[in-house]
Amino acid sequence: MSSTDLFEGGFGADVDWEKTKAILIFMAPGLTLFGIFSVGPMVYSAWGSFYVWDAFTVQQFVGLDQWVATFTDDAIINWSNLASFTYPMGALPQNLIWMVIHVPLSTVLGLGLALLFADLRGRRILRSMVFLGFTTPTVVIGLVLLFVYDPQAGVFNEILRTIGLEGQVRNWLQEPQIAIYALIAGGVWVQTGFSMLVYSSALAGIDPSLLESARIDGAGPFRRFKDVIWPLVKPVTAVVVIMSTIWVIRIFAIVYAAGGPSGGPNGVFSVLGLEVYQAAFSIPIEYGKAMVIALVELIITLPMAWYIARMD
Amino acid sequence: MTGHSPDDHDARTDGGTRTRDPPETAPDDFQDTGTRLVSKIPTGARAVRYAVAVGIAVLWVVPLLGLLMASVRPLEQIIQGWWHIEGMTVTFQNYAEAWTFKSGPMRQALFNTAIVTIPSVLAVTLLGTMVAYPFARFDFPVKTGLFFLLIVVMAAPPELVAMGNYNTLRATGLFDTYMGLILVHIGWGMGWVVMFLRNYLLGLPEELEEAARIDGASRYQIFKSIVLPYSMPALVSVAVIQFTWVWNSFFFPLVFMRSTDKKLAPQVLPLMKGRLQIDWGLVAAGSVLTMIVPIVLFLVLQKYYKRGMVAAVAD
Repeated sequence: MSSTDLFEGGFGADVDWEKTKAILIFMAPGLTLFGIFSVGPMVYSAWGSFYVWDAFTVQQFVGLDQWVATFTDDAIINWSNLASFTYPMGALPQNLIWMVIHVPLSTVLGLGLALLFADLRGRRILRSMVFLGFTTPTVVIGLVLLFVYDPQAGVFNEILRTIGLEGQVRNWLQEPQIAIYALIAGGVWVQTGFSMLVYSSALAGIDPSLLESARIDGAGPFRRFKDVIWPLVKPVTAVVVIMSTIWVIRIFAIVYAAGGPSGGPNGVFSVLGLEVYQAAFSIPIEYGKAMVIALVELIITLPMAWYIARMD
Repeated sequence: MTGHSPDDHDARTDGGTRTRDPPETAPDDFQDTGTRLVSKIPTGARAVRYAVAVGIAVLWVVPLLGLLMASVRPLEQIIQGWWHIEGMTVTFQNYAEAWTFKSGPMRQALFNTAIVTIPSVLAVTLLGTMVAYPFARFDFPVKTGLFFLLIVVMAAPPELVAMGNYNTLRATGLFDTYMGLILVHIGWGMGWVVMFLRNYLLGLPEELEEAARIDGASRYQIFKSIVLPYSMPALVSVAVIQFTWVWNSFFFPLVFMRSTDKKLAPQVLPLMKGRLQIDWGLVAAGSVLTMIVPIVLFLVLQKYYKRGMVAAVAD
């Protein structure tokens, strides 16, 4: 087999070496770093999840043992608490609960606000106000939530006092069965800005004469939304949902700032990211377990990334 | 003119003054000052919409407003509630304390954050464009595989690469150094940056490049004098978004930066909580110092930030 045959499929018989060299020179530096610091470590984790680790050093192959051990670990899935729906249920169910509430809520709120602001004067300022949280470091968001839910200094409890619910005043992030919902509310607060921004630009692309003619034809606000606006913003919705899901599955700093590395008292609002950090970087070091949990995160988000790629 | 009501302004052809309010979408420039002023006063349902919209927007910033208020007030007043305005004393004591905080002074932490963020953003933008250009323009054998890898990395959580990078940095002596964290950020950002710029370049017409090629320009000259300048808006978007993400990022510094004098600003903030009573003023001042940079950047380069955000998801 000659060397040209090797490239038969891609380059055709006459290889343009000048072009090949240019491509290599352009791509080599970026792809080298991409390979060493992104692709390499991912492959490393996928491979390492089938091995036993002694701290940071790989030992012998154990097949799926590490995976089985992780799925029976109370910190990841607490099966008995899950059956009775009592927190802590483990990081995986809690992360999924977060996703199931957060994603639809922030998407719908974002669309609602985009529609509300769409043709108002000063909409730019209004949008920036709602979007501000999304440009704030997530660790600050976590600390802000801690502050908001503080029994004395927190504005949320002050609102409860003002509307006559003194009895309800408490540190919401210390309540095992409620804390996660308090945090999810904070996540929605931040993410709504993002989905509002994306929807706003989709709405701006709608031809106003289309809405006008629908109005003239006697379509009410609901019909106008359903027949004119929705079909045009529907493709954007898929992307908003996917981006929010990826954001939630990766969530880390908010939870860390609000409840420390353990994810609140007894890990009642722990998420997958925190468990990876705990397993890999706090004593006892369990590298294999950390790799399995991180791969679980990838398995959840990969189909969505695949969907985005297919849309192209 | 039959079939039109007498006040139908669309039907007027004599250039006379409009007798009806212009449609909401009419550009301001075409209206005289009087009409504009009148149309600015909302009525009925529209006034309600304004009230609701402003109410919601204000509600949305209340938590951040609280943070700002707490940062300039003494702890006794914060515990009484930052929303009590009467008897408010403004102090910069909290900022002074945060600036010299002993487990990671903000003075040092903000400097560290800048030292890591600026080079990693510039590098990923330049190297990313260099990867994206052939990716958008030429065919080569492993293209589909590369495309797939970029997608996987975009979906992957940063935790997935933490273990491998920890061992790599340990082995190369780059652990707990600026360079180590910079390299991790470049490698990690490459995924979305290449994908974003590839989509942008696919939308640029190839004619200019072809014309330059016929004139005998080399591929490198074309890249430097045509591709880069024409991609400027996209490059600014990438740089702004990447800057906020790297500046705000918490997980990578937490794992890779350990010594007190190397800590980044977001990393220091949870340490400010202390053990028993949280010193809200200190936490708030540190938070404001950390978030001020990305927020000012966002406000100044909003156009690019928003355009980039939307394009990143819409393409």
